[in-house]
Amino acid sequence: MVRDTFRQSWASGIGWLLLGLSTLSIAVCLSVSVSGPRTLERPGENPDFLPRFDADAHDLQKLKQSGVAVADGALRLAFGAVRVPLARDTRSAVHFLELILAAGVADTLGLLLALVWTAGFLPGFLEPRAVAVLLAKPVSRWALLGGKYLGVLAFVLAQATYFVVGTWLALALRTGIWDASYLMSVPLLLLHFAIFFSFSLLLATCTRSTVACVFGSIAFWGICWGINYGRHAVVAAAQVAPQAGFSWLLVQLVNLGYWLFPKPIDIGRLVFDALGAGANFRPGVEGLASVSLGLSVLTSLLFTGYVLFAAGRQWSQTDY
Amino acid sequence: MAAPIVEFHRVSKVYRVGLLRRRSICALRGVTFSVPRGSVFGLIGPNRAGKTTLVKALLSICRPTTGTIVRLGRPAHDRSTLAQVGYLHESLAFPQYLTAATLLRYYGALSLVPRAELAERIPRLLAQVGLADRAAEPISAFSKGMVQRLALAQALVNDPELLVLDEPTEGMDLVARKILHDLIGRRRALGKTAILVSHSLADVERLCDQVAVIREGQVAFAGTLAELVRDDAAAVTTATLQETLETIYAGAAT
Repeated sequence: MVRDTFRQSWASGIGWLLLGLSTLSIAVCLSVSVSGPRTLERPGENPDFLPRFDADAHDLQKLKQSGVAVADGALRLAFGAVRVPLARDTRSAVHFLELILAAGVADTLGLLLALVWTAGFLPGFLEPRAVAVLLAKPVSRWALLGGKYLGVLAFVLAQATYFVVGTWLALALRTGIWDASYLMSVPLLLLHFAIFFSFSLLLATCTRSTVACVFGSIAFWGICWGINYGRHAVVAAAQVAPQAGFSWLLVQLVNLGYWLFPKPIDIGRLVFDALGAGANFRPGVEGLASVSLGLSVLTSLLFTGYVLFAAGRQWSQTDY
Repeated sequence: MAAPIVEFHRVSKVYRVGLLRRRSICALRGVTFSVPRGSVFGLIGPNRAGKTTLVKALLSICRPTTGTIVRLGRPAHDRSTLAQVGYLHESLAFPQYLTAATLLRYYGALSLVPRAELAERIPRLLAQVGLADRAAEPISAFSKGMVQRLALAQALVNDPELLVLDEPTEGMDLVARKILHDLIGRRRALGKTAILVSHSLADVERLCDQVAVIREGQVAFAGTLAELVRDDAAAVTTATLQETLETIYAGAAT
């Protein structure tokens, strides 16, 4: 079943599309080079800043001679065709690039592409004319559905691994900065996809409609994102401005939704934290609200497990 | 006498339909008959009589609402016996991205056929259905008749004890029909059973030892073809199979 799903992925074009995007990203990474200090902080030193309007702060040579570490490096793209001055050391510049690749390219564009494209796999698989012969085999319906789900996950895992390991190797070879924390994004990407694809699976068993699966799973992703963000906004607002006075009922409802549904923002934060995104981005409300990321992942997985069970039960009771 | 390979006992099936599943359609009503081991058994009847539902219930594709089905000596809900069953569906939709050989490997693996056995059996099956030179071609390039032949090979991939063929000659040319008839004949000689659902009286007359005529979800007749066309009162054969079936389909008593 897993091998068949791989064949289907290549035949449908999604395999080649994701492979092409990954290869393009790796090629871009191979064209990257950085120059400048590797790190601006010495061990045990707290980062400090010069006053913005200090005249001396504009004379870089004078500053360097006085022993101040100056961020005068540059990031070069397309083999030097594009030069971006660095306001940070090379290590955090590479982290910044990895963050764009993991959160922007893979976790948003890649995830949506994979979700939309693979949404058609299950309704086609469950269509009566296609599934009748499979149902007459000595394999349980749970095993057939589980095999298809795992097949799609295995395909996404292979694609995510190629993308992340490929871009990591390319960046490391070009910059000499080997930081394995970026590799953490492979299981997190898979987890993110597994959660939302399980909902697509449930829709497929209930409706056998590709349109319902595509729009339903994207809408569900948006709703979960909104609930996750809304909860953190309410908690952060209560911390920052206690006088705002949200009603007790609203807070309980927001919390209930938050704990019931998957938490894409929290899962994304795991990648952000692993890559030290705090050095590059100011945290949003999700950074202000206190969050137990372990509990977030656990409850998201519980939801996924329940949805998978519901999908399996629905299909096991479907008559053809 | 050997135990029947399939037994239906008072099998009924009611489908719930509509948005709220309030409407019901009764597809089978108390069907009772058995299929002798080693026979070629015809299942005939007008459109929407319930033949395909009966086959689906036999193969655990749908569950009977009431009644029991015994398949190869075990209750039909025991899926393990499906490893000894081959099925050719009336209107197939195989994955278009598979080649003929990979399709047989895929369905063979799902039928729990060992890999080594499959490697030996698949070229032979493709040769039997006249597709030996098309093994590596994707199914999307096949004509309807070729897909039907491949479907027949798929049904035989586990060398089943019981072969269930639902409208197998639909879309088949004369050569393919001959292949099918020869295959069924060879399997009968080996003591293997086939259930043939068909509207083709020529196929039924030529291949079947016994038949069950299904009408409005009930068994209108079960027995040999000779018994079907015989006038019991006069003890002579007075009608052709077609005339007899026309009478049964029209609802007259038999």
